[in-house]
Amino acid sequence: MVMKSSGEEDDAGWGLGIPEKMKNNANWVDITHDFKSSCKELSLGELLHDMLFGLFEAMSAIEMMDPKMDAGMIGNQVNRKVLNFEQAIKEHAIKVKDLSLPELIGIMDTCFCCLITWLEGHSLAQTVFTCLYVHNPDLIEEPALKAFALGILKICDIAREKVNKAAVFEEEDFQAMTYGFRMANNVTDLRVTGMLKDVEDELQRKVKSTRSRQGEQRNPEVELEHQQYLALFNRIKFTRLLLTALIAFTKKETSSVGEAQKLVAQAADLLSAIHSSVQHGIQSQNDTTKGDHPIMMGFEPLVNQRLLPPTFPRYAKIIKREDMVAYFGKLIERIKTVCDVINTTNLHGILDFFCEFSEQSPCVLSRSLLQTTFLIDNKKVFGTHLMQDMIKDALRYFVSPPVLSYKCCLFNNHQAKDYIDSFVTHCSRPFCSLIQIHGHNRARQRDKLGHILEEFATLQDEAEKVDAALHSLLIKYEPQRQHLACLGTWILYHNLRIMIQYLLSGFELELYSMHEYYYVYWYLSEFLYAWLMSTLSRADASQMAEERILEEQVKGRSSKKSKKKKKVRPLSKEITMSQAYQNMCAGMYKTMVALDMDGKVHKPQFELDSEQVRYKHRFAPFNSVVTPPPVHYIQFKEMSDLKKYNPAPGSADLYLAASKHFQQAKFILENVPSPDPEVNGILRVAKPNFVVTKLLAGGHKKETMV
Amino acid sequence: MSVTNTSGGKPQKKNAQMATIEENGPSTHAREKLQRLLNKNMRIRMTDGRTLVGLFLCTDRDCNIILGSAQEFLKSKDTFSQGEPRVLGLAMIPGHHVVSIEAEADILDDTQAFGVNH
Repeated sequence: MVMKSSGEEDDAGWGLGIPEKMKNNANWVDITHDFKSSCKELSLGELLHDMLFGLFEAMSAIEMMDPKMDAGMIGNQVNRKVLNFEQAIKEHAIKVKDLSLPELIGIMDTCFCCLITWLEGHSLAQTVFTCLYVHNPDLIEEPALKAFALGILKICDIAREKVNKAAVFEEEDFQAMTYGFRMANNVTDLRVTGMLKDVEDELQRKVKSTRSRQGEQRNPEVELEHQQYLALFNRIKFTRLLLTALIAFTKKETSSVGEAQKLVAQAADLLSAIHSSVQHGIQSQNDTTKGDHPIMMGFEPLVNQRLLPPTFPRYAKIIKREDMVAYFGKLIERIKTVCDVINTTNLHGILDFFCEFSEQSPCVLSRSLLQTTFLIDNKKVFGTHLMQDMIKDALRYFVSPPVLSYKCCLFNNHQAKDYIDSFVTHCSRPFCSLIQIHGHNRARQRDKLGHILEEFATLQDEAEKVDAALHSLLIKYEPQRQHLACLGTWILYHNLRIMIQYLLSGFELELYSMHEYYYVYWYLSEFLYAWLMSTLSRADASQMAEERILEEQVKGRSSKKSKKKKKVRPLSKEITMSQAYQNMCAGMYKTMVALDMDGKVHKPQFELDSEQVRYKHRFAPFNSVVTPPPVHYIQFKEMSDLKKYNPAPGSADLYLAASKHFQQAKFILENVPSPDPEVNGILRVAKPNFVVTKLLAGGHKKETMV
Repeated sequence: MSVTNTSGGKPQKKNAQMATIEENGPSTHAREKLQRLLNKNMRIRMTDGRTLVGLFLCTDRDCNIILGSAQEFLKSKDTFSQGEPRVLGLAMIPGHHVVSIEAEADILDDTQAFGVNH
């Protein structure tokens, strides 16, 4: 047995790495040889372990020296010293004063890239804090760099606060961990913007002094210097504008949103100048021969490696400088769009705004800004309106319920008031959540939409009860008026919208297999859109009834108002759109059935599941909804059975029917006055679909697969 | 923590491995030695110079070792975070990366598993 005592080698070697506690009480004895030879005695595949420790537990162990799992390994493989900021200064590996202009430009651009990479969901430790300068801006003597470092920290801090507050992120969107870094909390926002402004003014003087004068012979060196000063000036100004805009978002007044919009617009103007001057900055020393990360002065990708959890993706891939400007451009565009939300006053309009904004899959920062702009500190919409009032307005706009009409006796009836107020109060939370859901990323939205249906089902129930109570109150006072299914219609409308959105998002996220399309389209066309249309027309009718009553009352007093003035029905657009969508879906449904008949749809051999299981799973969230009642698989099979037609249609008939649907959709959409991008988008789909199904009906190319 | 006893009286199904150990007559001595080290602190140096300290939980013929509540210590030189361990939790060290294994002396005294001459 070869036994080494825990002698010299240890103390010289790894003794230093062991903390005091360990060192004191432990008298380590080397048992390597004995241990290994004992292991050899075990049989192949045998595990020696404690009773309480089994294979299951063993599975969750991280594997050391595995490049995918062992985050600590990488630091040891790099052949350079990993220094922190203080050490780097001591070893003169990093400059804190007299930095050249190209150095400053390069550092700032890399910082911007890190900032963006962080916003795209990487951890702070692997992005912004790979820049040593931001670890402790107090140590920087160069004023421009110091102000910049503080500015970046402040931007990070505000962005993080916003994202946290909005709470519309999941781990795949954003890493909120700060690892105990100091985010320049010892300096006020105002002080930082002041410092940036001072640096900016100073640089502007330099830019002016190096500017070419008329008739003067240009010295190329001076010209280059001028360019570089200008580049630096633009970067500092951009940082300041971005920071100031974010600060504006933290204020409670709505006016500050407009201010923020102006600021980001100014920042956007600087981007092209920044883009054209990227090459002035120093590049990283590309020593990538050994798979090493490119190293920039002031940056150390491994400085925080020890802070990361045991298993963590190795390197965050920092985006390229060229892409950085484009990303900022898009970010600013998104922020500008966000600012527009305050111009929408109607709840339905706001909801549409959120849906539309979310369709471009925006970044987590802009999503969060939108959320925090909408509900400031979770109390009032845009900081001024009560959510309850918004809901009442939405109700008036949608169904004009008598109870909310100034001309109705119920308006001042305190009992009716109690009813409607408590209903509206109960509505406000689900509607806030609905809006919040639209702030999440697309994949999470679907999941959350499925869950919120439960809350809306409860609301539906309450709405019907309140409707009934109000109706019985109303007929006591004004027997000619009705209060039937007003609130119920409104909730039903939202219910249907959520359900449709839920199903459609499955297409967007590519969740359905081809052979599932037909029942999803069936559900949409035959069921949801049909319900939506009838709901909308009910709301429309109720509006008209209300208007008629108002008109009569007005006429009673003065018959001045001309009856000729025909107002555009506020809901007509939506009714038209749902008709178009219904036709599109019906067309798709029939096409899918026909394709299936021709054996063009690949169907899997169901072993563990069946179509019924899949169907049930696809529409599972709808089970919590009472109206519209969920359609079960058996019902669906009965309703969609082609045998009930006599004679049963063949695929050609179905193609023809589908083409008619597409034609109808096309017709409806072409008659929409002032078509928006949405209309044009569906039109672009409807036209070729119409042509293709027509061809298919004519037996063209029967053998090909679409 | 008591050393796991391999004698009978345990539910049979609970641990199939234990049964095999008892059955394999000739090399039980080696197994017993390893058994006594279970749940004891162990210090393992790896081929890249790092040291892991943690509770010995599991091993096999190829000397792959699983340590529980493991802490990672870097080699002493060329690192700024000297002495600060990083908590790894459950960690498996592949046998071919194990350079040396150490156990605490007093445990070895108690268990008499490995001949210690110090």
